[in-house]
Amino acid sequence: MTKDAAGPPTATPPGAGQAAGAASSKSKRKRVPYLLLLPGGIWLILFYVIPMIQLAGVSLQEGSFQTGYEFTWAWQNYTSAFTAFGEHFVRSILYAGTATLLALLIGYPLAYAIAFRGGRYRNLLLILVLMPFLTPFLLRTLAWKVILADSGWVVGVLQSIGIIAENGRLLATGWAVVAGITYNFLAFMTLPIYVSLEKIDPSLIEAAQDLYSNPRTAFRKVTLPLSRAGIVAGTLLTLIPASGDFVNAQLLGNPQQLMIGNVIDSRFLRIVDYPTAAALSFTLMVAILLIVIPYVRAVGTEDLVA
Amino acid sequence: MPEVRDRDAAGGSEEPLAVALSGVTKRFGDVVAVDNITLEIGENRFYALLGPSGCGKTTTLRMIGGFEDPDSGSIRLHGEDVTGLKPYQRPVNTVFQSYALFPHLDIFENVAFGLRRKKVPGAEVTQRVGEMLDLVQLVGMDKRKPGQLSGGQRQRVALARALINHPRVLLLDEPLGALDLKLRKEMQIELKRIQNEVGITFVHVTHDQEEAMTMADTIAVMNEGRIERLGGPTEIYEDPRSAFVAGFLGASNLMKGDRKGTAVTLRDSSTIALPEGLAFGPDGPIQLGVRPEKMSLVATEAAPVGANSILASVVDVSFIGVSTHYLLRTSWGTEVVVVVQNLDDERHAAGSSVAATWLPQHTFVVS
Repeated sequence: MTKDAAGPPTATPPGAGQAAGAASSKSKRKRVPYLLLLPGGIWLILFYVIPMIQLAGVSLQEGSFQTGYEFTWAWQNYTSAFTAFGEHFVRSILYAGTATLLALLIGYPLAYAIAFRGGRYRNLLLILVLMPFLTPFLLRTLAWKVILADSGWVVGVLQSIGIIAENGRLLATGWAVVAGITYNFLAFMTLPIYVSLEKIDPSLIEAAQDLYSNPRTAFRKVTLPLSRAGIVAGTLLTLIPASGDFVNAQLLGNPQQLMIGNVIDSRFLRIVDYPTAAALSFTLMVAILLIVIPYVRAVGTEDLVA
Repeated sequence: MPEVRDRDAAGGSEEPLAVALSGVTKRFGDVVAVDNITLEIGENRFYALLGPSGCGKTTTLRMIGGFEDPDSGSIRLHGEDVTGLKPYQRPVNTVFQSYALFPHLDIFENVAFGLRRKKVPGAEVTQRVGEMLDLVQLVGMDKRKPGQLSGGQRQRVALARALINHPRVLLLDEPLGALDLKLRKEMQIELKRIQNEVGITFVHVTHDQEEAMTMADTIAVMNEGRIERLGGPTEIYEDPRSAFVAGFLGASNLMKGDRKGTAVTLRDSSTIALPEGLAFGPDGPIQLGVRPEKMSLVATEAAPVGANSILASVVDVSFIGVSTHYLLRTSWGTEVVVVVQNLDDERHAAGSSVAATWLPQHTFVVS
């Protein structure tokens, strides 16, 4: 007993047994969070960290599918990949950025309407927002192919009001890709914004009005800042996956204007040029981080806590 | 009532009332929340709207603040008709029930919110926020966020945020409801002090009769969308006039009887004398009331001459410390509560027969 209790220096004879018991339960309590982290941690290490390291290794290999690849610190993979496909990077970021902006412009009013005007139809409206997601991604995107088809009504209407030329088309243009991405990621934008808006106590808006804010000022000074966390979450959930998306560009776009996701897809699976594909993947990741980190810092959410 | 009218008159009859509601009705669907209320609140008053939940007091306050529009009737603030004006167009400010502090702004910006909207210059804002935080005793808290404050401190911020705009009327919606008892008592005194200091009309909604009595100089007791009784705390306590007010404002012993002139015959044929003030009135069935603390207990045969008394037996005795509460039952089965100060050691045991006596002037009549 005394030996056991010798560990913690404060354990003195009178309540030695109790003190030791308390100490062991204390250390047990300290261990619990780590134990809880274990399953997720193992999952992440096995299926994220290790593949990432492997991918990093692959991105520095040299060789060909026929002769086999060899690790040679081939940094030139990065420079050549970027020179060859820089245009695709720029286009990806541009498309994803535009789609994110459009999704925000559509998703925010949508979330606002559901949260503040939805009344008892709130849940129904939320289900309607999610409904398209019950059909597969591919099918939804193919549906847009029909909507934007040259003989479709959308093109017809736009032609007749002169927004696109008489023989102009939507399919196989950047706009079709942006429209597809916007649509496919709309729920990822809408739901986090809805959650942040729904949490706002209506009496805060009344308080703002009581303090001489007209509805527009009340929105700008209270509702908008309080929904910032939702906007940040929504834009990230849209921008990040949209930057790497290749389905929309492949189905709705034009083969001369592909996104970086298409290039990585074909390098990996069709051309079987693993090093370039890996280098492109890493470059895309860094590019996204370079955009996201300053964005989160600028509109950061930490001062919303407490 | 006369007392109140006098004080209103002293405020100057030419000066328009701070708040005047006339014939205001508000319905929510089929429910009539406020039923044709007419209310006049003088300048520099601490006015309480008191009543149980659902009595329409909060709706009345929200209509003064502009958060609800009345279905009929008009609302005037200092003589100016504000019916239909938006909250931001009215010279009133509100302290909300849950305080409604802006969680994304620090205390300084919360308090400065109204001044910022009115485009008050920065230096003046700083100075006025400083003065306000001083008034509500929150100096040094200006950089904190509402989430970092205690309930009582948030309450003070909400008060400062409203008062800084020099509203002509301050509306308080159950401002102390979320505080614990001790803090609530402190804030009652604090609110009264602040009202004296700033000298503007406070309209205070509460369901707590003690809170209303402690702070308000005029109380409007509301029930089912109407005002049941209006007057100073003492006046409406001593003469509640309706069974609802008698029961809601403190405890009352109510007894039915038959009136003939100034005498009322109770069910056991004993007679009660009415006070002089109630000397005139129609004969017939009547309901009387006496406050428990106005009664005293004596042995059956020792009832003093000139006092009203009823005979009853003691059902239950509880010693509270400052007083002893007796639960009595009369021969016709009515329960009577008597609160006796512990001035002597005399106690009446449960089961004993006693006479509960009181002075005629402590009798009131309810409808």
